[in-house]
Amino acid sequence: MRYRVRHTTTYTYDEDVSDSYGIAHVTPRELPWQHVGQHDVTVDPGATDQWATSDHYGNTRTYFQVDQPHRVLQVEAVSDVEVLTEVRDEEADAQPWEACRPAGRRDVVDAWSATELVLRSELVPHAPLAHAYGAESLRPGRPLVEAAMDLMHRIHTDFTYEQGASTVTSTIDDLFEARAGVCQDFAHLTLACLRSHGLAARYVSGYLATDPPPGKERIVGADASHAWVSLWVPGGTWLALDPTNDQLAGERYVTTAWGRDYADVPPVKGVIYSEAKTSLLDVEVDVAPV
Amino acid sequence: MLQDYSAAVAQPTLTAGPPRYDEVVAPDGSLRPAWKALAGAAIGLTREELQRISGDVVRFLSDDGVRYSRPGESPSWWRLDPVPIVVSAEEWAPLEVGLAQRTELLNAILVDLYGPQTLLSSRVIPPELVFGHAGFLRELRGGPVDQHPLLVSASDVTRTATGDWQVLADRTGAPSGIGYAMENRRVISRVVPELYRGAGLHRVAPFFQAVRAAMIDAAPGEASDPRVVLLSPGPQSETAYDQAFVASSLGFPLVQGSDLVVRDGIVWMRAFGRLERVDVIVRRVDASYTDPLELRGDSHLGVTGLVEAVRRGTVRVVNGLGSGVVENLGLAPFLARACEVLLDEPLRLPSIRSYWLGDPDELEQVRPRLEELTVRTIDRTDPTGALEGDDLLRRVEAEPHRFVAQERPHHSQAPALGPFGVQPEPVVIRTFTVRHGSAYRTLLGGLGSIMETGRVPRSKDVWVLKARPDEPDQRLLEVLPMTNVRAPAAMVPRVLEDMFWFGRYAERAEDTLRLVISAHGLAQDFRSRPWSAGGQTLRVLTRKLRDLSPSPFEEDAFDDELRSLLLDPFRPGSVAQSVASLRDAAQAVRDQLSPDVWRVFGAIDRAAGTLADSALSHQVTDTAGRMLTAISALHGVCDSMMRDDGWRMIMVGRAVERCQQVVRLLDGTVTERRGIDVDRDVLTTVLMVAESAVTHRRRYRGYVRPAGVVELLMFDADNPRSISFNVDRAAELLRALPASTGSTRPERLLADLQGELASLELASLVVIEGERRPHLEQAVATVRGLLSRFADAVLEVHLASAPTPRSFDLTRPTREVAP
Repeated sequence: MRYRVRHTTTYTYDEDVSDSYGIAHVTPRELPWQHVGQHDVTVDPGATDQWATSDHYGNTRTYFQVDQPHRVLQVEAVSDVEVLTEVRDEEADAQPWEACRPAGRRDVVDAWSATELVLRSELVPHAPLAHAYGAESLRPGRPLVEAAMDLMHRIHTDFTYEQGASTVTSTIDDLFEARAGVCQDFAHLTLACLRSHGLAARYVSGYLATDPPPGKERIVGADASHAWVSLWVPGGTWLALDPTNDQLAGERYVTTAWGRDYADVPPVKGVIYSEAKTSLLDVEVDVAPV
Repeated sequence: MLQDYSAAVAQPTLTAGPPRYDEVVAPDGSLRPAWKALAGAAIGLTREELQRISGDVVRFLSDDGVRYSRPGESPSWWRLDPVPIVVSAEEWAPLEVGLAQRTELLNAILVDLYGPQTLLSSRVIPPELVFGHAGFLRELRGGPVDQHPLLVSASDVTRTATGDWQVLADRTGAPSGIGYAMENRRVISRVVPELYRGAGLHRVAPFFQAVRAAMIDAAPGEASDPRVVLLSPGPQSETAYDQAFVASSLGFPLVQGSDLVVRDGIVWMRAFGRLERVDVIVRRVDASYTDPLELRGDSHLGVTGLVEAVRRGTVRVVNGLGSGVVENLGLAPFLARACEVLLDEPLRLPSIRSYWLGDPDELEQVRPRLEELTVRTIDRTDPTGALEGDDLLRRVEAEPHRFVAQERPHHSQAPALGPFGVQPEPVVIRTFTVRHGSAYRTLLGGLGSIMETGRVPRSKDVWVLKARPDEPDQRLLEVLPMTNVRAPAAMVPRVLEDMFWFGRYAERAEDTLRLVISAHGLAQDFRSRPWSAGGQTLRVLTRKLRDLSPSPFEEDAFDDELRSLLLDPFRPGSVAQSVASLRDAAQAVRDQLSPDVWRVFGAIDRAAGTLADSALSHQVTDTAGRMLTAISALHGVCDSMMRDDGWRMIMVGRAVERCQQVVRLLDGTVTERRGIDVDRDVLTTVLMVAESAVTHRRRYRGYVRPAGVVELLMFDADNPRSISFNVDRAAELLRALPASTGSTRPERLLADLQGELASLELASLVVIEGERRPHLEQAVATVRGLLSRFADAVLEVHLASAPTPRSFDLTRPTREVAP
């Protein structure tokens, strides 16, 4: 599938901001199953300084600085992306999950770097609740993908998608308490379940193309940025799981960036110098088939 | 001293295990070679002589203002034992070679970890050990790799029972202590000159020149005259003294994060009204606090955009951001292998035997012995340091890769002066290694410490003797001597602000001292005669004291109140509080001030100490007088300063504070009328407190009238204590500041003040209505209001420091909400 992705982030302040410094992870990645054509990041008011580099995980990180007074800061990313269907190695997917821990697979060439994604991170601790919850799916000897799909399905069933049920500071334990959250929470929860059992998994940030309701026109900007997880499968592949929608992330998923958790790859973050008291965030995403 | 010590060493010890290696006495009772050479001079060091020297050390350290804070505690004096650790050239040699190699190795490990990571992929170093370490900064990966992130490193070393050196810990992020080492040497060379001259030891100064050269050479690109700054967390930092010492000795300005700004991916210093490019940042701020944009978002100590500037190579940070990852305590077991892989040679200097518990075999091996080992997290993030107790094993098993177990070190021992003469004490030496040309050189010297728990440790100077008398100091020939190294004045707004407060607090302390002295004098004479004129004057003055520092000032506790006004730094309005704030301001601009400033604090502290130790009432006046003398000396020190913007700000601060003191003093004294005798006493006291009694006597022949006092204190253009004098002075000083236009807000307010003063008529001011002088009251209130608006405006216009960095999301932490 080919898409044109338009992702607009707008911050509005109640007083002038003299300087904004930002970091954006809004450019899709070039991957074996994803090709990126034209892509552009525009900052308004015009950035005096804008620079894109590759980060530790190979994501494109865009640094920008605006040094003229402004009350509205807008970061717009437009990218043409083609997503292909990934062909899976069924034999690798059927390995018992216990054999898929990087710690036990020194024979696998990238096991050493996958180790990083087993360790706890700031937003994804190895919470005992997550460990116990994961154990119900990760039963002894079960094939990896079957166990992971079961975990995804259970999370989708047991937890409710609900905006406002969580904040950026919600912990894994908070989620078990509320039993509700948004896609970042579902991703963090899945990661905690997998990692606390020694498996390696990434937090993935990107976009999901949505269909308009039957008989309706596509509404531009009604899409949203999205998050899911990707599980390390020894043998050179990763399995992309979307617990929010209980499905594998296929060709409707545009991958932008990955890391240990949300904090590694927020779409836009930054620092301002201002006496402003309030800020308003507005995000519009449009994933248009082309 | 040596006989005493030999006897003390020969005493059987209570500690189990093999005896410690003694730095002075060999097991057969003979002196070690290093001390043999010193024996002649050391003989004169009797116990009494050492005690006297120890007193000199304390005085020198206090005069130099050498302080240190243990983490989370308020600063206390630096401590220094008078007996140096002396090491012969022969004994030092293996350490020197080992440290040069070790630093080379740690540098090479950093280059790999922030580059290709072959050490991890080939499992020379376990990946968890790096990925799980808080000092591994992923933000620094992905771009070009700094090939020399490690310019200066420090290692804490000690000796085994057999005298072999071993490393306890490495400091590679922002190593501290070299300033203390230099200060120790300065003091010790003064207090035991015979010993120092006879020893044939390496002077340390040339090493500093090598450090300076390394920093300047670190500048990226082709800058012909690179600007190097030392980035400090501020005067509240534990090692603020060390930072300021290093900055001023190396001639680099001491800056804080808010003094720097990033534009176009380049770091600039906010000089007055313009930006100056910065090429090298010697950082003493923990790496994770250096950039609120990409590292810790809650940091106010950093520079927004610094990581990006580093990434682009427009600025060099020393040591490189992320260098702290090789402080990792879990690296020890893997260094030997890494050394062979990276440097193709065997590791020369071992670490203390350590077990990384992420290795299941190691964990099994040490599990039964955990209690006798020291277990730590690899990045020492555990606030309590060493972990102990029942839950230790549980914590280790939950995350074994985060833990390391170390054998308890077997320190060597050296003589240290205690209450009963010199005694052997366990010691550790912090060594310093700097990149010099294409290799690393280790300081022939170091910072010794006695291993004690619970307080600021006693430090020791470390003497490394020359192999031959004609050996050049530090064996550095090619280093040019530092001539005329003086920190170029970094007149950033923050520095000027500290200067302004320096001026204000010095004046405030002085004014309060005069008030205390007068009050104490009156209390001594008239406390028992409250109905006398003096007794009533005392009540008037007591009211002034109450305004200054709210408290009951009960008659029977009057002395205690005055004592606390002098000594209690937590009491609002106290002298001690002003002095503490003055010290903070001075500490923040230490590189700009004469070292004589610290002598002033030394004198104040000693005066305070005398009062604290004495219950006698007259000691209050005596101490306040000594403090006053010290503060006056501070004005003398300021007189010798360059007439630059910093000096001007001190003087503006002083002028503002003087004016405020006069209005505060007039209010409630001259503005009221009492009996004729009482009025005379009150006016005389006001003149004394305002240090204008002598002038008044000369001018008015001892006839004290309100009009004369008001004229002298408000309008007299020749009286340096008068409001008019100081307002004119402030206006003149302001005119010289670059930001002045003639019509800035502070200048307009001063013009208003001058206008107000000119419009006042002396005759009408002293007119009495009932018990009061309403015109004077009115004038005092108006002047007071204008003064405080002026002081605020100066801060706003001239000293506006950078605003605080805040996150894009102000209202609450938010994130894009998505399905």
